[in-house]
Amino acid sequence: MEKILEVKALSKQYSKVLAANKVSFDIDEGEIFALIGPNGAGKTTTIRMISTLITPTDGDAIVAGHSVVKAPAKVRECITYLPDEAGAYKTMTGMAYLKFMAGLFTSNTVVMKRYVDRAVEICGLGDRLKDKIGSYSRGMIRKLLLARAVMTCPKLAILDEPTSGLDVLNAIEIRKMIKKLAAEEKMSFLLSSHNMLEIEFVSDRVGIISKGQLMVTGGIKELKERYSAANLEEVFERVVLDNEVH
Amino acid sequence: MKFINLLKKELLELLNKQMILGLAVTLVILMLVGNIMKTTIDEAVNTTYTINLLDNDNTETTAELIDRIEKSGAKIKFMNDNTGEEVKGDAYSKILGDNGVENFVIIPKGFTEAYENGEKPQINSISRMKSASTMSNISNTNSSAIAIIEACITEMLAEKNGITGEQLEFINAPIQVNENTVVDNNSAPVSSDSVMNKLMMQSMILPIVVFVLIMMTSQMLISAIANEKIDKTLETLLSAPVSRTAVIGAKMLSAAIVALINAVVYMLGFSKFVTGATDSISSEMENSAVTSILSVEDAMSQLGLSLGIGDYVLIGLQLFLTIMICLSISLILGAMVNDTKSSQSVIMPILMFAMVPYIISMITDVNALPMVFRIIVYAIPFTHTFSAMSNLMFGNTTLFFGGLIYQTVVFALCMFFALRLFKSDKIFTISLNFGQKSKYKKGSKKNSSAGE
Repeated sequence: MEKILEVKALSKQYSKVLAANKVSFDIDEGEIFALIGPNGAGKTTTIRMISTLITPTDGDAIVAGHSVVKAPAKVRECITYLPDEAGAYKTMTGMAYLKFMAGLFTSNTVVMKRYVDRAVEICGLGDRLKDKIGSYSRGMIRKLLLARAVMTCPKLAILDEPTSGLDVLNAIEIRKMIKKLAAEEKMSFLLSSHNMLEIEFVSDRVGIISKGQLMVTGGIKELKERYSAANLEEVFERVVLDNEVH
Repeated sequence: MKFINLLKKELLELLNKQMILGLAVTLVILMLVGNIMKTTIDEAVNTTYTINLLDNDNTETTAELIDRIEKSGAKIKFMNDNTGEEVKGDAYSKILGDNGVENFVIIPKGFTEAYENGEKPQINSISRMKSASTMSNISNTNSSAIAIIEACITEMLAEKNGITGEQLEFINAPIQVNENTVVDNNSAPVSSDSVMNKLMMQSMILPIVVFVLIMMTSQMLISAIANEKIDKTLETLLSAPVSRTAVIGAKMLSAAIVALINAVVYMLGFSKFVTGATDSISSEMENSAVTSILSVEDAMSQLGLSLGIGDYVLIGLQLFLTIMICLSISLILGAMVNDTKSSQSVIMPILMFAMVPYIISMITDVNALPMVFRIIVYAIPFTHTFSAMSNLMFGNTTLFFGGLIYQTVVFALCMFFALRLFKSDKIFTISLNFGQKSKYKKGSKKNSSAGE
């Protein structure tokens, strides 16, 4: 299977702080990979490096054959990124926002319309798309942003806490949507979340990061067996605590 | 196409209903105030002056004085005083109130006696002060009334001593002044006061517009970047397939376009305001400049003080550079903002840099300052735009073009740092902490190897 993302010893040093230390993992086409770890473990730094927002101090990440260091512009054409707690332009209507974002990915009006139509269908906001985003609830904004992140059918969608701010039903809907897009459209996902239940349900493989180091990667079932754990939460606890002891 | 998309989004964000409404209201208010001032001044000029008078002496001499005052064209309103006694300090307020006036003049008892004996007769002037505002008290003074009374008494004294009207006129104006003004090597037969007055009116608008432009463009760009950072829309935008230069370019261009619209509206509003306020005064001054052979406009042209199209293009170029410097500094300041509070206070350095030359240009000429202060003030790049008109008018071309080069260098430097900042990781990590440690420094104490 084709590798969509290959992260090779990716490191980021902030003056005295080593935020990411030789992080390596890969994601196949149509695979959902979750990066989990405690607060300040280096998840967002790693994600930002893959999204070309910040430059690695060492190592590289190859997205659909393009290096984040050497060809960041090419990488941006293959990815979409949804930051944690991200907002949208409050003075725009939902529809105007989708059109604006689609316009950043293509100049072809036919393609642009296809992207917008897809987002309209995915977000399920209906007539509320004609209203200003400033009047939306947090959950509605999140749905709009998620639709925006997948409307262009990127090779890799990077979603930081994709269901934060959503109620249970909406969160389930989003998780199902992610699984469907990966399975049917072969879209790959790199997720980050604190919700172990969500990760267990949605992801094919996980990577546990602690103190900037990727401690372990593997399938959910495989990790549970390796750590003799009943669920992913126990795996997470053991890996993180072990790392803190050492 | 992507750039147009970005530009459209930025323009729509800046040109919202509130801004358009604000501009329309500002324009209407300025035009309205200008018209009110023009009407008020015109009325004041064309209306016969009224002297509020209380004659406590009540003699033939005071009757003659009153007659002369009325013949001079002024009206007299006699104050009602029911006391029938000599009016003293305590009664002034009551008389003002009873007669519904804000000032009056008393011819006290003994006025005629002093006049007859060749002594200086006394006149009492009473004015009510209602506030600390200069404008609100300006019509409450008796200065015009006193001047008219003085002129009439001078006439009476002249006649008493056998001096004819012609002789008196000669005594009052014993010399004829032929005024000439020299600028550089050019001279014109015109009063320097008239030229100064005209120059003041012309150069009044530019500093105000420059100041408004500096503040508006800076605040707009800082807010635009700060909001993107606070809402995390900047991360989304910069991870999209669009170059960071295009993102910055769209933000700068939209802020410049909106600032230009503001400048046009403010210039229009202020010109209407200033024209309204000064037109009547100006025409009065020109009429009184009896010895001037040329009109002030012709004289200014002869003196080389009239600006041509080329000069206006140069002023426009300098204004453009000032705006570009503002925008590049705002890019850096906006990038440092991490919350709404700091987005409002971060404009302070620009405000200070704009205030100093603005105030100085309103009070004096920068070139008239002592050398050390002049260097300090000219080191502020905005100063060159505030003094651009004056430098071009008075042939300080070295200073003007030196300023233009200096502004270009400052802009290049600011833009270089702004682009470096935006193209580096610092756009996400830099912040104004105001004494607080950054999250990375905080983290380094607890954990030597972890980031976010």
